[in-house]
Amino acid sequence: MRSWLAHHVSSFADASRRLLRTPFASGFTALAIGVAIALPASMYLAISNLNRLAGDLPAQPEISLFIAENATQGERDAIKQKLGAHPAIGRHHFISSEAALERLKAKGLADITAGLEKNPLPDAWVLTLQQASPGAMETLRRELAGLPGVESAHADSAWAERLQAMLTLGRQIVLLLSALFGLALVAIASNAIRAQILARREEIEVSRLIGATDRYIRRPFLYFGALQGATGALAALGILVLLGLAMDGPVSRLATLYGSPFRLASLGAAEGVAVLGLATLSSWLGAWLAVSRTLRKFG
Amino acid sequence: MIQFSQVTKRYPGGLTALDNITLGIEHGELAFLTGHSGAGKSTLLKLIAAIERPTSGAVTVNGQNVGRLSRHTVPFLRRNIGLIFQDHKLLFDRSVIENALLPLSIAGFDRREAMKRARAALDKVGLLKRERAMPVALSGGEQQRLCIARAVVSRPALVLADEPTGNLDAGYAIDILNMFKDFHRVGTTLVISTHDERAIQAMGGRVIHLDHGRLADGA
Repeated sequence: MRSWLAHHVSSFADASRRLLRTPFASGFTALAIGVAIALPASMYLAISNLNRLAGDLPAQPEISLFIAENATQGERDAIKQKLGAHPAIGRHHFISSEAALERLKAKGLADITAGLEKNPLPDAWVLTLQQASPGAMETLRRELAGLPGVESAHADSAWAERLQAMLTLGRQIVLLLSALFGLALVAIASNAIRAQILARREEIEVSRLIGATDRYIRRPFLYFGALQGATGALAALGILVLLGLAMDGPVSRLATLYGSPFRLASLGAAEGVAVLGLATLSSWLGAWLAVSRTLRKFG
Repeated sequence: MIQFSQVTKRYPGGLTALDNITLGIEHGELAFLTGHSGAGKSTLLKLIAAIERPTSGAVTVNGQNVGRLSRHTVPFLRRNIGLIFQDHKLLFDRSVIENALLPLSIAGFDRREAMKRARAALDKVGLLKRERAMPVALSGGEQQRLCIARAVVSRPALVLADEPTGNLDAGYAIDILNMFKDFHRVGTTLVISTHDERAIQAMGGRVIHLDHGRLADGA
């Protein structure tokens, strides 16, 4: 048990030494792995940032019902009753003109709202449909627009739906790209290990002749593969940080022009650990494939 | 200890290296394999260590049919056999002592105990003072002695040597044969392939003569 552990430790030390002994080759392999990870990871970041931006938007189709400024209390009560009893309406809630103004302020548009003499926003009801079909939506919108005391009714969620659909598509693409680049990573790692194996062919052959098991021979190469994957992941995280720094300025400027407090979010700690783990694992797998193939060839 | 029963080894391409060999080698025996080059001496040794497998017949070592061993059990057979090669097969990227340590590290020995044993083996072959040297700095005779130290460091019951004195001049060869004599004295079974008649006369022991893959006499 102790000697088994000792061999693990010495295999790890040996793998690190070999990695450091050829800094140029190791560096380029790390860079290649880094780019292969950074491409899908940066796309993932772009999608999740867009998603965050779209997060405030209603994903379900909604109808906004604006109340006329001069509507009487009787008309308002009638509208409320009608909405509560209507079979096609799912949820509904009231947003007073004051609440709407507060919301604008909270979104960072205080400098605009401050300049207003009086609140220009109407009272409104926001309601979702029981069943969201475009036909039902339009019928309901017309019916509600005709009620007394209603200024207008808007079904303005079509573009939000489209955005959601595009984001879903984007996520799907990221997933597929990640799988593809994951394969590339296994191939890159396996190739780099093959060079190591060729350089140590004699050692493998002699070790087998004097009783080394496949497991014993594989061990230092697996550590080498894992370390290579880990350095590649670190390279990828470095690339992502640089990309983030390069994009942060332009994105902030654009957001400010739109009066939005939006800022780019970077990879979280959990996501960083996931990238590190997956890269290490796939590079380890690449090493395993390369060594096992060689060992089979020795017979 | 070693039993060949009607063993034939044919290589791909039709070369018959061994032809219907039946012989036994006892525990503690010292046996020389002789014959012209290509007579099948190396093949016979390789069959014992499961480096090659017989085309037909059975090779048993300690009652184990080594031709039938699975991939995963072959390493454990080899740990009980000390192999000495004509071309030494040393690892040139590590020191003399690290070369001698390799079989112990593979067998999972504790490092301290392994160092003790490796030093003892180097002492036996007269290389203790060179333990920090790299193999490339050793003479041919010293490299062969290091190969012997590596073969006996885990104290195997069986040592197989393929032309151990083939590349050495007479003085070195006698040194090495004397080492084998010592191993024989402590009960190690030795099978040595050689075409060095002087060696056999100097040491005595059984002679197994191969001629074109067949047993000639002495079996």
